Amino acid sequence: MITFRTTMGNISIELDFDKAPVSSANFLSYAKDNFYNETVFHRVINGFMVQGGGMTANMQPKQAKGSIENEADNGLKNVAGTLAMARTGDPHSASSQFFINVSDNDFLNHSGKNMQGWGYAVFGKVIEGINVVEKIKSVPTGSSFGHQDVPVDPIEITETIISESYAAK
Amino acid sequence: MTILFVSDLHLSPERPEVTRAFLGFLQSEASGAKALFVLGDLFEAWIGDDDSCPTGISVQKALKKLTDKGVALFIQHGNRDFFLGKRFMKAAGATLLGDEHLVEYNDQTVLVMHGDTLCTDDIDYIRFRRKIRHPLSKFCLQLLPLNYRQRLANNMRAKSKVANANKPSSIMDVNADAVEMVMSKHQVTTLIHGHTHRPDRHQQENGERIVLGDWHNKGWYLVWDSNGYHLIDFDIRAPSNQ
Repeated sequence: MITFRTTMGNISIELDFDKAPVSSANFLSYAKDNFYNETVFHRVINGFMVQGGGMTANMQPKQAKGSIENEADNGLKNVAGTLAMARTGDPHSASSQFFINVSDNDFLNHSGKNMQGWGYAVFGKVIEGINVVEKIKSVPTGSSFGHQDVPVDPIEITETIISESYAAK
Repeated sequence: MTILFVSDLHLSPERPEVTRAFLGFLQSEASGAKALFVLGDLFEAWIGDDDSCPTGISVQKALKKLTDKGVALFIQHGNRDFFLGKRFMKAAGATLLGDEHLVEYNDQTVLVMHGDTLCTDDIDYIRFRRKIRHPLSKFCLQLLPLNYRQRLANNMRAKSKVANANKPSSIMDVNADAVEMVMSKHQVTTLIHGHTHRPDRHQQENGERIVLGDWHNKGWYLVWDSNGYHLIDFDIRAPSNQ
């Protein structure tokens, strides 16, 4: 289990190493490096998702590692409470940024191995602190540094706690 | 069972997230419906059924999958895709509807339209429409080579963008008299249309006018079931890491 201490409370995440081995290992690697500390949930859209894992409070991008393979064809669905990798239009372009679905976003699921059908790879779920995610999704947002849907008051990850079993992986 | 209505998706290669959202919609909500009505502007531009653009082909295949499941599909022309023709309809398993069509369900009759002909205050557009949609114009345009039609469509879209930017917002909405006239003509108390990109439900003296939304940051669809009408929107923005 990985727990993010955020300025709005703790969120604990379980990764699916069986169905999403690449994405889970990638996320754990960033977590072990404390990469997510001092990043914010920079894109919050109630009814859709809350996204973080790559921007600082003043909306500066943190230098991520390389892109990873898209594992959206693993059968995991973008349902509320799951974590998936954010990416560009290129299906295999995810790096550090992730999002937490706050609705059942069927249209983000894999439907075919092409540009439009690849979908967004789910690799984990929130197992504790879903109430914190509920609070985050409802915060007021606006434009900041050229980005939209940015929380007016930054929601920062201040600490990353990794369980013993995950630390041993 | 439900009947679904969508319009103004404006699908194009430039907005893959909208195509993805629509394909997802076809696999989820639409696959359980009795029928799907597309009230115009499925595509941002359609220069002829002989165009083999990947977006058009993937949408056509997805529509065929839907109709193969037994969902009836009806399509109206919009002001952007009025060249959608028989070949596309056949390949998608769809039926092409006229500009004003009556839908009967649950012992009720509703009128469905794209909606551009209701914007009668936009005189320049109505004139242009009359010319471009004339059967002779359509026939002649179809004879032109594909790449010429492509250039022509791009020019028309660019000009339309400039012209619309200079028009007052009010003339790009429907004209109340035109709405009343068409509803009286068909003796209906419900009109469903798109085109204006102003999704809403308007209660009027002569009934209700339901306006579908355009697919941009949100997708929109209208559900018609035994409990009435439900105008639904959902987010379709991509979780981009850029």
